[in-house]
Amino acid sequence: MSNIFEYNGSAVVAMVGKECVAIAADRRLGMQAQTVTTDFKKIYEMNNKLYVGFYGLATDAQTVSNRLKFQLNLYQLRENRLIKPKAFMHMVSNLLYSRRFGYYFIEPVIAGLDPKTNDPYIATMDLIGCPMETKDFVVAGTCSEQLYGMCESLWKPDLEPDDLFETISQALMNAVDRDAVSGWGAVVQVIEKDQITTRTLKSRMD
Amino acid sequence: MARRYDTKTTIFSPEGRLYQVEYAMEAIGHAGTCLGILAEDGILLAAERKNTNKLLDDVIFSEKIYRLHDNMACSVAGITSDANVLTGYLRQTAQKYHLIYQECIPCEQLVMQLCDLKQQYTQFGGLRPFGVSILYMGWDPHYGFQLYQSDPSGNYGGWKATCIGNNHQAAISMLKQEYKDTPTLKEALDLAIKVLHKTLDSTKLNSEKVELASLTREGEGPNAKTVIRVIPGEEVDELIKKYQEMVEAKKREEKEKEKEREATKME
Repeated sequence: MSNIFEYNGSAVVAMVGKECVAIAADRRLGMQAQTVTTDFKKIYEMNNKLYVGFYGLATDAQTVSNRLKFQLNLYQLRENRLIKPKAFMHMVSNLLYSRRFGYYFIEPVIAGLDPKTNDPYIATMDLIGCPMETKDFVVAGTCSEQLYGMCESLWKPDLEPDDLFETISQALMNAVDRDAVSGWGAVVQVIEKDQITTRTLKSRMD
Repeated sequence: MARRYDTKTTIFSPEGRLYQVEYAMEAIGHAGTCLGILAEDGILLAAERKNTNKLLDDVIFSEKIYRLHDNMACSVAGITSDANVLTGYLRQTAQKYHLIYQECIPCEQLVMQLCDLKQQYTQFGGLRPFGVSILYMGWDPHYGFQLYQSDPSGNYGGWKATCIGNNHQAAISMLKQEYKDTPTLKEALDLAIKVLHKTLDSTKLNSEKVELASLTREGEGPNAKTVIRVIPGEEVDELIKKYQEMVEAKKREEKEKEKEREATKME
């Protein structure tokens, strides 16, 4: 149990394209070396234009996503509108910092489009809520170094949705192949202003 | 005589009444009418908008009808500020249940929890009761479509059709006569417009004075979803027009029958 973040194994990546964003994650859930399931959900839908994926301990990912949905539902009922991705990022950051000294063992990856302008937005943060917003890609995972390498070489600005799908898929699949505890397939969601495409990939099943 | 027993909520009168609770219900009797009708394939809530002042900035989404959760909505009658507090509490309660059980709160549970809160204000603390009655419409997999009413005493009941607010007695007696078992949502909408015509103060009914919302289930099997829809102004206007045309048609029929009777008399 040397590193609690690597107990279950995960890899999540989000990228910005031309008027779209994509978020992808692997599907393995393990208990250290043992693989338990190969269809584990790591990306959660917050609303139809906002998705968040989690790297780290699976139980904390589920708990945090439930608590986020709780807060988000109340927000959307009170304000009668969809939340902006940036405001959501602050909400996640606030939630994680509220546990500054008994932290959740997760790092979130946020991807979405602004509900009015459809501007793409991605962000990630550390386990106690320090946000990082970028214009190109964000990564989190047991194979984050591999993911950084893949994304840095493959990403180009203004990719169309189909090209973005190819790019993010190749980046994720090749990174998790170099990591023992992540992989066993992948889920890729491409979010455009009027549709969301979800694709499941078969990769090296090991 | 009653003055000695009505200043504190937490005491009974000699006749066994809680005056503060009754006074709260008086306050609600002055508020805009709210009507709820349970149909076979859905439920509808209709509410009278009282704040039709021209100077009011019309940014607000809804004056009387509130969405509580994916499966429930409510409409309020009474003191608006009290209603805002209660709807906030209802929304939080529904979310807390959802956080723990990852499923929508059953309708009666939500109503019960709020009524327990309302009851506290009639027994402890020396605080006045909430001057709000609420009509809830919801769907859950245990009992299907349900319509509930709660009042300041903390009592609640499940109804097929009911009314709160201004002129509610007239509306309820009309509903007693006109409501036939298991109407369709379309029939319920027509009935609602008919009743509102009777209960609203003004003679001319239009979509600006009325808010109408419906709750239905769409889809099949595990993908079925509860849909809460605020009926847009144009549709409401159409329904009103349909009703008014029907009234006109009836009047014309009556006149013709009169003429026939006169004609036969003359002969």
